[in-house]
Amino acid sequence: MKLKGLGIFALGTLFGLEGIKVLSSKDAKKVYTHCTAGVLRAKDSVLDQVTVLQENCSDIYEEAKAINEERAKKEETAE
Amino acid sequence: MRFTIKHEIRNRMRIHLAMKRMSFREADTFDYYLKNFDEIREVKVYERTADAVIVFDCDRSRVKDIVKDFSFDDIQVPERVFECSGRELSAAYYDKLVTTVVMHFAKRLVVPFDIRRIWDTAKTLGYIWRGLKTFKNGQLQVEMLDAMAITAAILTGDHNTASNVMFLLKIGDTLEEWTHKRSVDDLARRMSLNIDKVWMLTDDGEILTDSSKIACGDIVVVRMGNMIPFDGEVTSGEAMVNQASMTGESVAVHKSISSSVYAGTVVEEGEITIKVTQTEGCGRFDKIVKMIEESEKLKSSVESKAERLADRLVPYILLASGLTWVFSRNVTKAVSVLMVDYSCALKMSMPISVLSAIKEASQYDITVKGGKFLEAVAEADTIVFDKTGTLTKAKPTVVRVVAFCDESEDELLRQAACLEEHFPHSVARAVVDAAFDKGLMHDELHTNVEYIVAHGIASEIEGEKAVIGSFHFVFEDEGVVIPDNRKSIFDTLPDEYSHLYFAKNGRLAACILIEDPMREETRATVEKLRAQGFKHIVMMTGDSERTAAKIAAEAGITEYYAEVLPEDKAGYVEKVKEEGRKVIMVGDGINDSPALSASDAGIAISDGAEIARQIADITIGSDNLESIAILREISTLLMKRIKFNYRTIVGFNTALIVLGITGVMPPATSAMLHNGSTVVLGLKSMTDLLPNKAV
Repeated sequence: MKLKGLGIFALGTLFGLEGIKVLSSKDAKKVYTHCTAGVLRAKDSVLDQVTVLQENCSDIYEEAKAINEERAKKEETAE
Repeated sequence: MRFTIKHEIRNRMRIHLAMKRMSFREADTFDYYLKNFDEIREVKVYERTADAVIVFDCDRSRVKDIVKDFSFDDIQVPERVFECSGRELSAAYYDKLVTTVVMHFAKRLVVPFDIRRIWDTAKTLGYIWRGLKTFKNGQLQVEMLDAMAITAAILTGDHNTASNVMFLLKIGDTLEEWTHKRSVDDLARRMSLNIDKVWMLTDDGEILTDSSKIACGDIVVVRMGNMIPFDGEVTSGEAMVNQASMTGESVAVHKSISSSVYAGTVVEEGEITIKVTQTEGCGRFDKIVKMIEESEKLKSSVESKAERLADRLVPYILLASGLTWVFSRNVTKAVSVLMVDYSCALKMSMPISVLSAIKEASQYDITVKGGKFLEAVAEADTIVFDKTGTLTKAKPTVVRVVAFCDESEDELLRQAACLEEHFPHSVARAVVDAAFDKGLMHDELHTNVEYIVAHGIASEIEGEKAVIGSFHFVFEDEGVVIPDNRKSIFDTLPDEYSHLYFAKNGRLAACILIEDPMREETRATVEKLRAQGFKHIVMMTGDSERTAAKIAAEAGITEYYAEVLPEDKAGYVEKVKEEGRKVIMVGDGINDSPALSASDAGIAISDGAEIARQIADITIGSDNLESIAILREISTLLMKRIKFNYRTIVGFNTALIVLGITGVMPPATSAMLHNGSTVVLGLKSMTDLLPNKAV
C-alpha cells in the first residue's frame, strides 16, 4: 500500500520534472499540429461528401421531375 | 477545358471539370462565363467538387463545345463580379452548419463523457449570461427560459438534453444570421450594380462617364441624392454628406474644400466636386453592405414583433413549472415542463417563414430589407402614392414646347435639357430625352447648378439667370413675369398636361408641356389594393389641382393632395401615424425621401434616385405597380402562417406537456414528437406562400 503510494508520488514528481518538458517539446508540438491537420482534413472530407450527396440528390430529384413530366405528357396525348 | 459528364437528362447536365477543386474566384469565373451564353438557362457551380450543373435550351453538343472552349486564362471577368458573388459567404456558413452538426454527433462518439460534461457546463455559462442580459431590461424573454432549461438540465444531470437544446439553438442562430446576411447582400448587390455612371469634369465641361473608366486623379461631380462613387478629396463646392456607411452616424456631415469623402456615402444636400483618390475595387460593395446594416441598426429594433411572440409564453411556462412542482413535489416533472422547448420550434420556424417570404418576394422583383416591414405592409390601412413615376409611367414625355420669347422652340428645349440633365427626377429625364431624340446636342452652357428640391433648378446660361421648374417655384418664389404680349397664350395652355416653366432673366421663356401617361395597371392595382383592405388610398403630387384631379379620377383614387411640397408629404405621413394608423409610402425620387423614411414601410420604385433606394425599406421593380398588391398578399399570408405556426407549436407542445406530466406518454415518445413537429413545421414554412408563380 505504502509502496504504491510512493510509486505514484515518484511518477508524479518525474512528470513534474520531465513530463511538462516532453509535452511542450518541439516534437510534441509536431504531433499536435499533425493531429489538428488530420481533424481539419477529416472535416473537409465530410464537407466534400455532403456536397456530393447534395449533388446526387438534386440529380435524382430533377430526373424524377422529368419522368413525371414525360408521363403527364404521354397521358395527355393518350386522352 | 477537359471535363466529364457525371449525370445527364434532357436539357440538364452535371459536369465535372478536370481538376480536384476550384477556388472561389475560379468558380465565379466559370459561372460568369457560362451565364454569358443566351442558350444556357441556369448554372450552379460547386467549387468544392469542381462540378457544375447546367440547364440549357439548346443542343447538348453546343453545351459541350461551350465548356470545351472554356479556359480560366482567356476570360476577362470584371472585378465587380467577384466583389458581389457572395460565394465565399455562403461557403463559410455552409461550412459552419455542417461542422456544427457533425461535431455534435461525433463528439458523443469520441470525447469522453466527463470532458463533455465540463465542456457543456462551460457553454451553459454563456447562455446564462445571455439570459441575464435580457433580464436586465426588466423583461422576461425567451433567452431567460433557454438559460433556465439548460441550467436545469445540467443540474439534474441530464447532459444529453442540455447539449441537444444548445445544439438546436445554435443551428437556429446560425440559420438566422446566414439568411439575414444573404438578404442584405442581395440588396447591396443590386444597389452596387446601379451606380455605374458618374459626371466627370473635363476641360470641356461635365461629361457623363462610365464609372469603370474613371482613374485616380480624375475630377468627378456629385450632386444631391447621389452616392459618392469613389474615395476622394473635395476640390470645390459644399455639401451635407450622410456617412452612415462609414461611421454609423445618421446625421449628415458638412464637407467643403479639401475634406475627404468616401465611396458609398451619400450627398444629402448640395453639390461637390471631388478629386478621385481611389477607384474601383476599394470595397464599395462592402461599404454598401455596411451602410444597410447601419441603417437597420438606426431603426430601433430589427426584430419584428412576430419574432418576439415567444416571449409572451415565458411567464406561463414558469408558472406551469411552478404549479407542477407544488402539486407533484417532483423536481424532474417540474423541470420537464421547462424543457419542452417552445422557443426552439418558434425560433426555427419564425425566421424561416419570414426569410422564405422575403425570398419569394424577390422572385417578383421585390427587395425587402427585413421581416418587420412585411409585418407593417400586412397591417397598414393607408397607402400614399407619389404621383410622378409611381402611379404614372416612370418616363413622362415632352409633348410640346410653347415659346414665350423669340428663340426657336428647339433652342429653348436644348437649353432646358442642359439644365435638367443634372436633376435626378423623371420629369427632368423626359426633357433630356426629348432633346436627345430631336438630335439637339449641347455643350454645357451654364455655369453653376443650384438645387432647389422639388421645385426646380436655378442656374446661369451665358450670363443670364435661368430657372426651370414648377409654377410655384418659377412665379411665386422667383417672381418671374409673363411677357405682356403673350399673356393670351399663357391662359390657353392646355390643362391635361403638366407644365414645366423655363425662364431667363426673370421673364418666362417657354412652357414645356409634359404628358405623364398613367401606367396601364394603375387602375387595376388601386382596385386590388382597396379589395385587400386599404381604407385610405392617397395620391400626392406637386402638380396643379386640375392635373391632379384628372389623374386621380383616372386612377380611381378619391383622396388626393395637389401642389404639395416634400415636407408636406412627410408631415401627412406623420399625422396619419399619430392617429394610430400604419402607413405605407410609395415613391421614386428625392423629394419623397423624408416621407419614405417617416412611414412604417417605405416602398421605392427601383429606377428612382439613389437615396430613395437607400432609405426605402422595400424596393420594387420599375415595370410593374402590381407588385405592391403581390407584396401585400405575401405579407398577409405570412402573418397568417406565423400565427398558425405559433398556435400549432403552442397547442401541440402543451398537449405534450400535459400527456407527459400525467404519465400517459413516455418521455422518449414526446421528445420524438416534439422534434418531429419542429422539423415538419420548419419545412412547411419554407414553401411558397402564393399558389402560382408568375413568370
